[in-house]
Amino acid sequence: MTLIIPPGQGRRPLDDDPRWYQTAVFYEVLVRGFADSNGDGTGDIRGVIDRLDYLEWLGVDCLWLLPFYSSPLRDGGYDISDFFSVLPEYGSVDDAAELIEQCHERGIRIIADMVMNHTSDAHPWFQESRQDRTNPKADWYVWSDDDQRYPEARIIFVDTEASNWTWDNQREQYYWHRFFHHQPDLNYDNPDVADAMLDVVRFWLRLGLDGFRLDAVPYLFEREGTNGENLPETHDYLRRVRKAVDDEFPGKVLLAEANQWPADVVDYFGEGDECHMCFHFPLMPRMYMSVRREQRYPITEILANTPEIPDKAQWGLFLRNHDELTLEMVNDEERDYMYSEYAKDPRMKRNVGIARRLFPLLDNDRRVAELFHALLFSLPGSPILYYGDEIGMGDNIYLGDRDGVRTPMQWSPDRNGGFSRADFAQLYLPPLMDPVYGYEAVNVEAGLRNPSSFLHWVQRMLHVRREHAVFGTGTFEVLGVENPSVLAFLRRRHSTDGDPDDIVLCVNNLSRFSQPAEILLTELAGMVPTELQGRVPFPPIGELPYFVTLPAYGFYWFVLQSLPEETES
Amino acid sequence: MIDVATLERLLPDFMVRQRWYGFGDVRPERVEVTDFEVWRDSWPGLVWALARPVFADEGAESDARFQVLVGLRSIDEYMHFLDGKGRSLLGDVATGSGEALAYDALVDGELALEIVRRIAPDFPANAVRPLPVDQTNTSIVVDDSAILKVFRRIRAGANPDAELPRRLWDVGFQQTPEPIAEWRRGDDDLAVLRRFLPSGTDGFVLALTSLRDLYSSRLAPEQCGGDFAPEARRLGEVTASLHTSLAQAFGSAPGDATAWTDAMADEVTRVEVPGISPDELVVRVRQLVGHAGADVGAAVRIHGDFHLGQTMRTDSGWFLLDFEGEPSRPLAERVLPASPLRDVAGMMRSFHYAADVALAERGDDVDTELRSLAAAWEARARTAFLDGYRAAVAGPESLVPTEPTAFASLLRAFELAKAVYEVGYELAHRPEWVDIPREAVQRLLSPPL
Repeated sequence: MTLIIPPGQGRRPLDDDPRWYQTAVFYEVLVRGFADSNGDGTGDIRGVIDRLDYLEWLGVDCLWLLPFYSSPLRDGGYDISDFFSVLPEYGSVDDAAELIEQCHERGIRIIADMVMNHTSDAHPWFQESRQDRTNPKADWYVWSDDDQRYPEARIIFVDTEASNWTWDNQREQYYWHRFFHHQPDLNYDNPDVADAMLDVVRFWLRLGLDGFRLDAVPYLFEREGTNGENLPETHDYLRRVRKAVDDEFPGKVLLAEANQWPADVVDYFGEGDECHMCFHFPLMPRMYMSVRREQRYPITEILANTPEIPDKAQWGLFLRNHDELTLEMVNDEERDYMYSEYAKDPRMKRNVGIARRLFPLLDNDRRVAELFHALLFSLPGSPILYYGDEIGMGDNIYLGDRDGVRTPMQWSPDRNGGFSRADFAQLYLPPLMDPVYGYEAVNVEAGLRNPSSFLHWVQRMLHVRREHAVFGTGTFEVLGVENPSVLAFLRRRHSTDGDPDDIVLCVNNLSRFSQPAEILLTELAGMVPTELQGRVPFPPIGELPYFVTLPAYGFYWFVLQSLPEETES
Repeated sequence: MIDVATLERLLPDFMVRQRWYGFGDVRPERVEVTDFEVWRDSWPGLVWALARPVFADEGAESDARFQVLVGLRSIDEYMHFLDGKGRSLLGDVATGSGEALAYDALVDGELALEIVRRIAPDFPANAVRPLPVDQTNTSIVVDDSAILKVFRRIRAGANPDAELPRRLWDVGFQQTPEPIAEWRRGDDDLAVLRRFLPSGTDGFVLALTSLRDLYSSRLAPEQCGGDFAPEARRLGEVTASLHTSLAQAFGSAPGDATAWTDAMADEVTRVEVPGISPDELVVRVRQLVGHAGADVGAAVRIHGDFHLGQTMRTDSGWFLLDFEGEPSRPLAERVLPASPLRDVAGMMRSFHYAADVALAERGDDVDTELRSLAAAWEARARTAFLDGYRAAVAGPESLVPTEPTAFASLLRAFELAKAVYEVGYELAHRPEWVDIPREAVQRLLSPPL
């Protein structure tokens, strides 16, 4: 189907700033679920290419593709059986090269998932390694005669796995796996493995990819007496990868998936010599908590406990992604709270988390969705959108594992939601068809046609955000407000060339009731706030706390400018 | 500048208009300036003084002294800071350099800054603003980073609000704003400068936020998004830490159940609770304390006026403020060691007030369902606070009764005494609120031990 794309902001050239990722907005694409170009029921790379005009209009800066490598697909492609080829259903390496080129033409960058920790058990490396104890790849995985080593390492997929060790009948030994038993961990103590994975990185960067989202990085090494997470050896290896990337492919980005507390995550930035970006995992569940509790403290506490990061580093912020809403980085009390508030049906729970999409989590409340995106776009970090959230897609909690949030993108009210011309039965997953979130009600085409749709709102907000680099690179300062339901903060970038500082004031009402806010801003007395969506000037800041009222779930973004010199009238 | 005689002439009318003046609308016959100092002799002028009101019938309060800071500016000057501040005016005075207007110097930003610099010369201060909500003292915010609290009623001896925070910080308790400077002259504490908590929310306001959510969603408190229990639990933990720190700083002694009983029995008979005989109250107090037996915990320095309004939720947890104690009690009594359960009882009462104040916000839109939700919220907040408190207060020496039944019984006694005090306070100041504590008195009298 052809989408009629409204006129956008015009084509932008690829920005050559080596720190582009600090101001970029990312968009996460599930190749399998985005668009099916050949009618086989599964999305593919050419399908993504066909939809690039839409993404260009939306105003995203960088695509993040979930794994598209050859794989038996027992873990959504995170079980890779060949790092150098593309899963045939998705296309070929040539298709990938064309996608990269087409993205770049539109000023959009593109990164892809890279799984360094493990492979599929179908990978030829593992097939060779498991044959006996002496073959050339015998030491490429972590083997053991018993299943008692590394007892401190926790089991991550508690729903399906009983141990991190699985017995292999062929080699008659146990092999180590931090995730599913069909995903054996690579043995990074073997220098050949470390070299081989660097070659994988080089291959794709040479093809033009702009970087990687590195999956499950804390677990690369194992050491007795430790929990096997965040080991110094792992950091050493990441420094090696970073150096190779910087030396050979400047301007590329490494985004680490390290689901850890901020104090541990910051180690993955190193001293600016490991990953460029890390996800901020603990912030996300606390945004939900804050709005449910109608008070800012869950958010401000975690940000107050987030250490400074190196100058060239950046946080990756997200509301939802292809995994469950993970609750590993909250304490027990908070986890119980999140389950009771957001997973009322036990089927919504997955591992240690909640498998739901954004809009169902927010009871389909457009006002809350806007507030969440306003926070996502203004808190310190680069926002990462999940495909479908920009149109308010729902989920299907009756599908297994995390498939409930991986259903086909809904493009139009046509057959299969415009995702595919295949027979319904052939689709990799059924599209949503319920009356609230189904593709007849929620789809891109309808969103594009209606100027007041959520989709248009997101597009406008991304445009506003792009105008102010301070959202990406400014400092972050929570402002004093007595009202606990109001979260007010400044983003500020100190000017170096004598221009005035770039200052944005963000005020958010986390409550479903209208709220007043007296904001402590006397330091900026005399400046005039101008609201960024409508460019409406507000009264200047005086010597008393700045007073605003906010509607339910309302928010303001103000740019602060000095009052022009008074002229005699 | 202004002279002592002129000041003494202007002060009676001035004092009676002030919120911090503790004698209602009884105008003093005259005011005697006991201490007087000119701090600034040029415009704008600044004078510091202590003044004692003298009443027609010399009563027990004849030793009351108040601190006043007087600003003076030429009558020709436009003083925008006085807009809407008629209460802060002293009046016109003739000076050697012409006619001037005398006023409370703390409303004058320039002079307030000078006062801050005098009290804490090392503290970099650039701008000040008044803190609107203030009763018995006057506070101004300095650069949104510190608060200067100027004590108004000056009593001989250390003011607990100056002494306790300093001693608490000395023993490592940091959940109260950090003291920066104290200003004393002789035996008198006159002002303190301490850190300001810009990101804080008053605990009572936070509780109302939870309650508005509760009453609007009409779900059980534990099913409400704004559930207060986790906050209450953490507040209980901090309160326990306050008491163990106070014991560490000032020492502790075995609790004296007899003395406590006598004191409470005396207190509850001072108030006439409508529909309840004083004897009934006294019997109940004796019964409740008696039930705890010898298991009454210790006597330590306590906060003394502990309620949600004295707490602040911040990004680094709960902070506890305002250690002056109940202003209506004499200072000597406020600094006496007491049972930590008196503070706990104060917080229990505060949960009850919060639930009912949020109900009252709804006007006529209150039904039995909301009333039962209010009771459920209060019960849940109590339980959570006490769980947090008991878990954190448990230590080698027991500050509070060890047996749960003794704990509950003694706590109830203090709650009863507090509720009776509240009845008296409300009858005198806010009669429309008297039903809240009166209902509590009924409740505390009725259940079996």
